[in-house]
Amino acid sequence: MPEVIETQLKKGVLGLCVLALLSRGDSYAYEIASRMADAVDMGEGTIYPLMRRMQSDGLVATYLAESPSGPPRKYYRLTDTGRERFAAQVSEWRAFVGAVEGILTPDINPAAAEADHDA
Amino acid sequence: MTRNDFIRRLRSGLKGMPAEDIAEIVADYEAHFDAAAAEGRPEAEVAEALGNPGRLARELRLEAGIRNWQSDRTPSSAWAAVLALMGLATIDILILVPIVLPILGVFFAFYVIALSLFVAGGFVAIAGPFSGFPGGVLVAVLGGLGLMAGAVALAALLTIFTIWIINALMWFGRLHYKVIEPAIHPADAA
Repeated sequence: MPEVIETQLKKGVLGLCVLALLSRGDSYAYEIASRMADAVDMGEGTIYPLMRRMQSDGLVATYLAESPSGPPRKYYRLTDTGRERFAAQVSEWRAFVGAVEGILTPDINPAAAEADHDA
Repeated sequence: MTRNDFIRRLRSGLKGMPAEDIAEIVADYEAHFDAAAAEGRPEAEVAEALGNPGRLARELRLEAGIRNWQSDRTPSSAWAAVLALMGLATIDILILVPIVLPILGVFFAFYVIALSLFVAGGFVAIAGPFSGFPGGVLVAVLGGLGLMAGAVALAALLTIFTIWIINALMWFGRLHYKVIEPAIHPADAA
């Protein structure tokens, strides 16, 4: 079952990673895909269904911009909704990771873990 | 797989979607090949890293089906979304079929019942007064109208339940995307 857990975990954070990349600057799908493929070992092609879904959810918008080589590229940028969603998911993620860490590391100071959880 | 093979298989998987959506999706993948070629990556390696075009097409179709269903709650968009869901055809969705089909059958039967109640009510309300309905004219008209109102209520209730079930199905389908699965996977060879 470890593969299943890993798959589910990665699937859950994939959208968060894309939001994070875009929060640092607009980008095009190939660039996002290659950065994600290196980092989380995903199929590069899966970025496109994900970007389409994020676009239809109103989290990202697209525009065309000149590329140094070849035809203009489709760039993605975060919308205001996307920014809000990113901030919310980051704090959710931090709280979740903190809670899991607290359980995985039994000798952690419970008071500190509690404070972490509240933060 | 060459670039042309990939695009061809993607296209054939997307068949049935609106032409402009297909053009947009294909353009995305073409741009991906262009960008990769600019980096000097070999075509076959790029195609492999992209993943199985048939599976990508099925996920894109389900995504489009869900979007249509959300913006346009009609029986035909519901049907298209359910078909796209079945197109994913992973084992756990196939397990769903024997559960879902009887439910759909029951819903259909109830719709038929609602329709026949409506028709019967109309018949009683209109023909009853002229054919010596037991209890008199007023009873016939009111009884008929009552039946029709009951039929409309039943149909409305059924519609609410149907929408709810289809939404649940779409949720289940999205859960079963293989969006993250590594591109090179033994199942891809099949």
